[in-house]
Amino acid sequence: MSRGFLIRVGALARKEIIHIIRDVRVIYMALGLPVVMLILFGYAVSFDLDRLPFALVDQDRTPASRRLVEALTGSDSFTVAVRLDDPRAVEPYFRSNRLKVGLVIPPGFGRRLQRGEVAEAQLLLDGADGTTTSIALGYAAGVGQAETRRLLAKTGLLGDLGLRDRVRLRFNPGMKSARFIVPGLIAAILAIMAVLLTALTVAREWERGSMEQLFATPVRRVEVVVGKLLPYVAIGMVQVLLVVAMGSLVFAVPVTGSLGLLFGAALLFLLGMLGQGVFISVVTRNQQVATQVGLLSSMLPTLLLSGFLTPVENMPLLLRAIAAILPARYFIQVLRGVMLKGNGLRELWPDLLALLAFALAMVAISTARFKRRLD
Amino acid sequence: MSGPTGAGPVIEVRDLTKRFGAFTAVDRVGFEVHAGEILGYLGANGAGKSTTIRMLCGLLAPTAGTALVAGVDVSRHPQKVKRLIGYMSQRFSLYLDLSAAENLDFFGGAQGLAGRRLRARSQAVLEQVGLLAHRDTRTGDLPGGWRQRLALACAILHEPHLLFLDEPTAGVDPVSRRSFWQLVRGLVRAGTTVLVTTHYMDEAEYCDRVGLMVDGRLAALDTPAALKARLVPGRLFDVHGPAAGSRGRLAAIAGIQHVEPFGAGFHVRMADPSVGAGDLAGRLDAAGFPGAVIDDLEPSLEEVFLEVVEGWPAPANAPEVPA
Repeated sequence: MSRGFLIRVGALARKEIIHIIRDVRVIYMALGLPVVMLILFGYAVSFDLDRLPFALVDQDRTPASRRLVEALTGSDSFTVAVRLDDPRAVEPYFRSNRLKVGLVIPPGFGRRLQRGEVAEAQLLLDGADGTTTSIALGYAAGVGQAETRRLLAKTGLLGDLGLRDRVRLRFNPGMKSARFIVPGLIAAILAIMAVLLTALTVAREWERGSMEQLFATPVRRVEVVVGKLLPYVAIGMVQVLLVVAMGSLVFAVPVTGSLGLLFGAALLFLLGMLGQGVFISVVTRNQQVATQVGLLSSMLPTLLLSGFLTPVENMPLLLRAIAAILPARYFIQVLRGVMLKGNGLRELWPDLLALLAFALAMVAISTARFKRRLD
Repeated sequence: MSGPTGAGPVIEVRDLTKRFGAFTAVDRVGFEVHAGEILGYLGANGAGKSTTIRMLCGLLAPTAGTALVAGVDVSRHPQKVKRLIGYMSQRFSLYLDLSAAENLDFFGGAQGLAGRRLRARSQAVLEQVGLLAHRDTRTGDLPGGWRQRLALACAILHEPHLLFLDEPTAGVDPVSRRSFWQLVRGLVRAGTTVLVTTHYMDEAEYCDRVGLMVDGRLAALDTPAALKARLVPGRLFDVHGPAAGSRGRLAAIAGIQHVEPFGAGFHVRMADPSVGAGDLAGRLDAAGFPGAVIDDLEPSLEEVFLEVVEGWPAPANAPEVPA
């Protein structure tokens, strides 16, 4: 690294810092957006059932039927919203979106149980809301199984015969959504902010004509890219600190592994995203187009294809192929590994390598596409 | 090939050509610029002035031809050229949210200046362009003429021997234009060579030599006086007054070579340089225009330019040439 390199990169970075300090909007965006997104996603995106209201049609009205309802509502997962007499009366509640779950206990439920016969209760679900119903179904099925086991144990039938499944949820014993969402959210926030901010700053130089003035000096392309990126790397690291701290304080998401490893991975991820931003603005040379392309190319894949909300393993081949080159995917794996599992380098080195490869590729591509000449 | 301090030309251009697709922006242009000279590049918008200057600064790759700037071939070593020159682009590309001193710090750093040297140069150029008192003023708050002086300061911070100014005074008021030109002439007295483009004809009078660019071709290049003598020969008079007549009837008078409407009257050019104002008055009298007021007139570069453009063949590839 020559003295000239340091002087020129230093001049570019210093100028960029002045731009950032003078433009309050950038500060607001850099520090406000992560907080807003964390609160929105942290509270709104939840896969926990909390007092999901349902319609109860208890046509049996026996101690046995009441016991089933109690088993369902006992864990605070469900709550009885309305009691109806006719199963057909449930559908209007589904149609008007007032309820999504109904439980029908037909007459003779208790009597059949007493006789040792198979007793049936019917769970009605609004399939139009797939997420809610699948979570509700899972909970209700679990309650049903537990009740069955309890009844069998009482009759003495469940000796050493059946399989006893013991489920242990490691790393997130309470199945808290926040623990699963906050690491993904760090990736989403960093991706969106980094791509957007750099896409804007480089495109602005093209639009305003200052890039031409810059290219009439001996400044080299890689110096422009590095000088522009440095201040945003610093901003990105502050954002990571902010989101990790808020995740821990507000949503009780722990960092069981090494903080150093977390920040190291964040640095690699940031470099890749900033490189992507520079690449977009080098190609578009226009602030408006750069903003749109930047948002689309950072937000959509990070939210949908990275394993943030939905598992990559279930996606069709094409989407899995895209996910395979998506740095957010590896970054989220690292974050979940470090924050929840306490993983170290031994488990995470392949993911870190993938992040490094993407970062190097992006900086190289954007430098190569960065034409110093104007034609 | 000699450096900027040598005796030979500082800029040597041969058959320089730039094509954008099917459009030829600069067509086989050739000229030389000597040390300590101001060469003005005159022409309409789109005539190829900026394209030429950008090629000489290493910003655009020429399609054909050669250009040696301070002895360096711009096609082969564009980066090397950039260290030797100062360039002020068409739009002053200063950062408006930075103060005057911060802009200087940035462009100085981009040129590789740092520390004490940068501080000393920054101070010196601010003083030179008369902005020392405004070093901490935000550039966006400076009036247009001052910004343009600051842009010049940014371009000369690293003490280049060669200065390229691309329409430096576009959109600036006449007083600021004059003070800007005083600065440029001061630089030239100190040994800097300047190539400047403009579409203000009056500014071309500040130049040692003037090149006229039409449709990508260098149509003429000489001192302003020589251009006038060659392209606007004869004598020029301003004719106005109650009975100045019509253009067609004036042109029909013997000895009048050219009539150009000007204000309320006409600029009349006589083919014979020995004809005086009195002779012309007599001829106008005889032709039935008594009492016309006749003044001697020094031909301006505007006349030269019009003469060149009118004698130019219809453009073959240019989409349009705004007057």
